[in-house]
Amino acid sequence: MQTGSRRWINAIIAFVGLLTPAEYTMAQADDALAYETVVPSRIRIGESATIRVTSFGRLKDVALPTIPGLVFEEIGRSQGLEFVNGTPIPATFVLIRVTAQFAGVFTIPGLTPSSQSIGLEVVKGDEPNPYAWRRQIPAAPPVTPASLPKGVQLQAGGAAFVHLAIPTRAVYVGESVPVEIEVGLRPGIVTSVDGLPSLNGSDFTLNNLSKQPERREQAIEGSDFVVLTWHSAIAAVKPGDFSLSAEAPLTVKMSTLSAADRAVASRLAFPFLQSMYNGVAPKDMTIESSPSKLNVLPLPMEGQPKDFGGAVGDFQVSSDISPASVAAGNPLTLRLHIRGAGNFDRVDSAMFDHLDHWKTYPAKSSFTPSDTVGYQGEKVFEQPLIAAQPGEQYIPGLEFSFFNPNTRHYEHARTPPIKVTIAASLASGSLTALTGAQDVNGAPTTGAIQGLRPDHAPSQISVSELKPLYFRAPFLAIPTALALILAGSLLAVRPNAARATSKATARVLAQLDAAARAGDSASFFEAARTTLVQTFAARWQIPADQITPIEMRARLGMASEDVGLLLALAEETKYSDYQSGGTDFQRWLTLIRAQLTSER
Amino acid sequence: MRASKVAILIGGLALWAGQAPGQPSQLRYSADALYNLANSYARAGKPGLAVLSYERAALLAPYDPDINSNLAYVRASAHVATKPRNRFERLAQATDPTSAAWLGVLGLALVGIGLVAIRALPRFPWIPGGGIVLGAALIALTVSNAMLLWPKMHEAIVLVDQTPARVSPAPMADTAFVLREADSVTMRAGHEDFMLIRTSGGLSGWVARADLGAVVPPVGGEY
Repeated sequence: MQTGSRRWINAIIAFVGLLTPAEYTMAQADDALAYETVVPSRIRIGESATIRVTSFGRLKDVALPTIPGLVFEEIGRSQGLEFVNGTPIPATFVLIRVTAQFAGVFTIPGLTPSSQSIGLEVVKGDEPNPYAWRRQIPAAPPVTPASLPKGVQLQAGGAAFVHLAIPTRAVYVGESVPVEIEVGLRPGIVTSVDGLPSLNGSDFTLNNLSKQPERREQAIEGSDFVVLTWHSAIAAVKPGDFSLSAEAPLTVKMSTLSAADRAVASRLAFPFLQSMYNGVAPKDMTIESSPSKLNVLPLPMEGQPKDFGGAVGDFQVSSDISPASVAAGNPLTLRLHIRGAGNFDRVDSAMFDHLDHWKTYPAKSSFTPSDTVGYQGEKVFEQPLIAAQPGEQYIPGLEFSFFNPNTRHYEHARTPPIKVTIAASLASGSLTALTGAQDVNGAPTTGAIQGLRPDHAPSQISVSELKPLYFRAPFLAIPTALALILAGSLLAVRPNAARATSKATARVLAQLDAAARAGDSASFFEAARTTLVQTFAARWQIPADQITPIEMRARLGMASEDVGLLLALAEETKYSDYQSGGTDFQRWLTLIRAQLTSER
Repeated sequence: MRASKVAILIGGLALWAGQAPGQPSQLRYSADALYNLANSYARAGKPGLAVLSYERAALLAPYDPDINSNLAYVRASAHVATKPRNRFERLAQATDPTSAAWLGVLGLALVGIGLVAIRALPRFPWIPGGGIVLGAALIALTVSNAMLLWPKMHEAIVLVDQTPARVSPAPMADTAFVLREADSVTMRAGHEDFMLIRTSGGLSGWVARADLGAVVPPVGGEY
């Protein structure tokens, strides 16, 4: 009986003992351990990733963050078991869909108080997703067994490693050296690669890493690894012995419990109780490769060509021109091809600054890499040229100097001269072709295009210039000279007022002489009066009836008295029987002549 | 005596004007030769050079129906628009420019002599008056002919199909538009190996000189 009671007591004690950690767990529910993962961690614009919030306890509502470029939406909530190191742990899962609107690298803050922030990279639509653990190709490549590279150690609890592969030989300053950065990851433990690997060392320049790393799966030390390999090229900026290493940022699932806690958990037999003590959370960390030694030598000064521009590598040069035959005035394109491996950023050529009988234009270059890092490829320099004169011409060879690290000497490459045939300009060639066309005239116009009228018989009439005659300066001299001559003629035949006056004066004086000789005082004075009045009216620009003695006195001065006397005698002889016996005709003739020739 | 000196002077000027300075003696233009050359270009499938030669032939013989017919035909074949001549243009171009130039000189002489004669012969004004009217008509004919041909002095024909008209006078400049072979354009300015042209549609761009043929080539020039 006592044995049965003791069994019941032991059972009750055990039940209470079981409930104690459960009560403790419930009390800690608000601050339950939680972590988040985002799958995939790199998506394209418009695609969605799933954020899975895993909480080892009761989880309250999750507040969705507001991040420009990302749209969050809770799509589900469930409960289940999370297996950590093979141990099932009860957990609550919240699934959140995040849809990308912009490209970029986003940091999503922790959605629970105890969770860490996570990263999400959004790329453009044409870029592949190299971080997708779930392969999109149906056939999976076999996992090849391999060993760790020499000198490489596993880090992050054996979940990852970084290896920097550089040449073991000495390199030269400025020489591009291809390098490989390998990052090995254990899927499931390493949740994401949080950025591109980088190089430690300020005395080197690192070219852009290849956009898409090579991806392969290998079994290393019994575990499956995904190995990502980036290619690039480095160049030393100064000589010396250097130590180089590479590092890569990762997020790794790590246990948060101490060794003692893990020991307690391992002693719990029941998996559910064991899970209570198995804490795990993603942790951001940076792992670094083992340092590698690199000896950098200076470029030798001896034998350095004058046109050396810093190109170091192994190059081959060639040149071509297109088209090989062209009319004068039309552009040709001369190309210098430099192929090989080396620092193409220092490969440069101005081609021709000046070329006799050619018009040169500035050259431009383009580089086409044949590998992912631009270490190997072809650089092409293109220079437009315009021939100034027709004929067969040779373009001199192009030169290029570089330092070859393989031979450890400077090399001077030169392309062979190029022969080009320049035809006469199309526009100026018409006269040359004219001769040929004239030869054709003699032949029957067979094969003429329908609608085209036949040729003309050649004529002997020709001109030396197509410009019309009236647009040529020499011809314009003719009408100009003619116009001047005609203008002079017009001036010569124009009526002369002075000459006309003198003729009229002579006529009047002759008439007066005749009257004087005849002793006809009436006619003499009448003619004298009429002539003088008309002369004064024309000279003074006033009507004849407005010529008064006052007007004459003002204009003629002393002579006005004699003129007035003459006019009075004329009036008298007109209206009375004037006797001419006492008339001094010579005096009046002198007066009249003086007044007719006077300017006043 | 004086009249004979004037005649000698004018004759000397005419002889001097008829010989363009600096022009090589072997380069002679003939309307028939240019027409035949244009025909050969047309048969060879080169409408640009054909139109250029027809235009040059039309400068020397604008009244020639064969030239105008073939020019219109080649332009139509090349899908280039042709502007028909109106009645005034046909009348003004009833004679070639050389004859028009001399007729203008004759008209000027008639007008001048008529003005002089009116002074000298006031009793018969209708004789010099008729001469003045005739002279004025000849001068008007010459001026009209010159006004119609003045645009040709700056006209060029596109010789190469798909000729790019660029935004600036450089071989690698962007292409503004493309010209068809046998298109007629107006040359507005030049810079090194390029000409600034304007199309009948009002578009402007820089075209390589080698791709153009000036209807009236400059003396000693190539285009």
